[in-house]
Amino acid sequence: MAQGRSPGSFQGVGLGLRRAHLDEVAAREDHGVPFWETCPENLIGDGGRHHRLACAILDRDPVLTHGLAISLGGFDPWDGDYLRELDRFLVRTGTPWHSEHLCFTGVDGSCLHELLPLPFTRAAARHTIARAKDLQARLSVPLLLENITYYAHLGEREMDEAAFISEVLEGADVGWLLDVNNVYVNALNFGFDPKAWLARMPLDRVAQIHIAGHKKFGSITVDTHGADVIAPVIELMQWTLARLGRPVPVLLERDNHIPDFGDLLAERVRIQAAYDAALSPAEAEAAPAEAVRA
Amino acid sequence: MPESRTFRLQRAMASLILDDEPEDFGAPAERLGLPASDQQAFRDQPEAMDLYRELARLSLVEPLETTFPVLKALLEDAGAWESCVQAFLSARRVRSTHYRDLAPSFLGWLADTGWGQERWPFLLELAHAELLEVLVARFPEGDPAQDLHDEPGPEDVVWFDPGTQVVAYAHAVHRATEAAPVPEARPTHLLAFRDAEGEARVLELTAATAALLVQARTRPLAESAAALGFADPAPALALLRDLREQGAVLGFRSPH
Repeated sequence: MAQGRSPGSFQGVGLGLRRAHLDEVAAREDHGVPFWETCPENLIGDGGRHHRLACAILDRDPVLTHGLAISLGGFDPWDGDYLRELDRFLVRTGTPWHSEHLCFTGVDGSCLHELLPLPFTRAAARHTIARAKDLQARLSVPLLLENITYYAHLGEREMDEAAFISEVLEGADVGWLLDVNNVYVNALNFGFDPKAWLARMPLDRVAQIHIAGHKKFGSITVDTHGADVIAPVIELMQWTLARLGRPVPVLLERDNHIPDFGDLLAERVRIQAAYDAALSPAEAEAAPAEAVRA
Repeated sequence: MPESRTFRLQRAMASLILDDEPEDFGAPAERLGLPASDQQAFRDQPEAMDLYRELARLSLVEPLETTFPVLKALLEDAGAWESCVQAFLSARRVRSTHYRDLAPSFLGWLADTGWGQERWPFLLELAHAELLEVLVARFPEGDPAQDLHDEPGPEDVVWFDPGTQVVAYAHAVHRATEAAPVPEARPTHLLAFRDAEGEARVLELTAATAALLVQARTRPLAESAAALGFADPAPALALLRDLREQGAVLGFRSPH
């Protein structure tokens, strides 16, 4: 069983633990991945060979946990039994925090298994803040919320996305899992400057970063997690890290068109080099000038 | 208390994803009594609403296509797969936050509603058989069994791995394929279990052997064999030894 690890011990670029790679990860302690991210919904209550392999890896290596289907901004009551299981799982893995998406995933007890946007309204923000506080009170580790990609506004909006996210993070007093690819994709779809957007945000709350690939379908760019990370998104990650001036862990997400483990390790090394460069002293000195330009 | 606007907006989005495609994307919002400005927001973003509908339905339907390829082939041949999936989605039966529960939810919906079973009496069995190996392979481990021995004795009961299942069908659904999805109508008994590597395996059993395996979980082997009219229990004991080596049986335990 893993012991709780301090948040500061999580640095560098980690990977999501994927079923397709379990055999290789379990067999290779020298994989060089500083931490794994795993989804508790996929492990709690599961069994069999892959489950055993995943649990063995999570007991051996550092892990961060990331939920998919809690429906933070929804209205369905929590599943108390599941939350107790979740909390036991979080303690067992030793994760320093647990992240969930700032979205809804279910309605009327029906789970949609999709990250759906919340209305950018004061009422929705108040509701989500109350839910986040309640969820936080039930977990033994700090809660982080992640900004999602959204492709449509849900109803008439009263504020923009940046204001909505800031209001929820501040109101709930929770940390931020900043997905820079989601910022980039939203910027493409809704026509804003991602750095100017980030400059408005409470970056002091960022505890972790996500990075991923995306793809355009018709006139909309979609957060697919199915392609290599493009240079502008890596550059946005570097800009953010330099501005933060601290080595928050970055998670490379790859959920579709999952490459061979060796290729994914090579992609991780590429992102790690960019991460290291962004946090080098020379880059840190350049960061304020970059921030002014934004 | 009146339902909040936020809640009704979420319901409108769920309807847009799960129900029959509306001619007007603002229709669910209108039906739910949302203000005209909210209805208009749905109407003003048709490509994005289409995308949400496609993305969400893809994630809901993919596990069904992966788990039930033979059922899908059967229904596609009859032009009924899309209507089956639509009826399932409209029923709002995906209640679990565990993605792996999607396919079992579909099976439960088939069982509860009897969908398609008047035309295809084997449909539920076919779906069950397709899901069986997945369920067996991923069945949660139990606590380690105590006091088991390797060699079956006449007074022993059989201690199965928690994932092991003995099932009976009226059709040979395990023989159905995507190319020939209609199974032969004949009583079929299967033993599904995970082997030492954790991979799911299925063995066809005779009716008598299946009955023995079921009975011998709670009743001594010799008594079970006698009750079922086994003149010579030796072949059954040999099978049990073999099943223990393969992983279906964890061992044998004296009832006392």
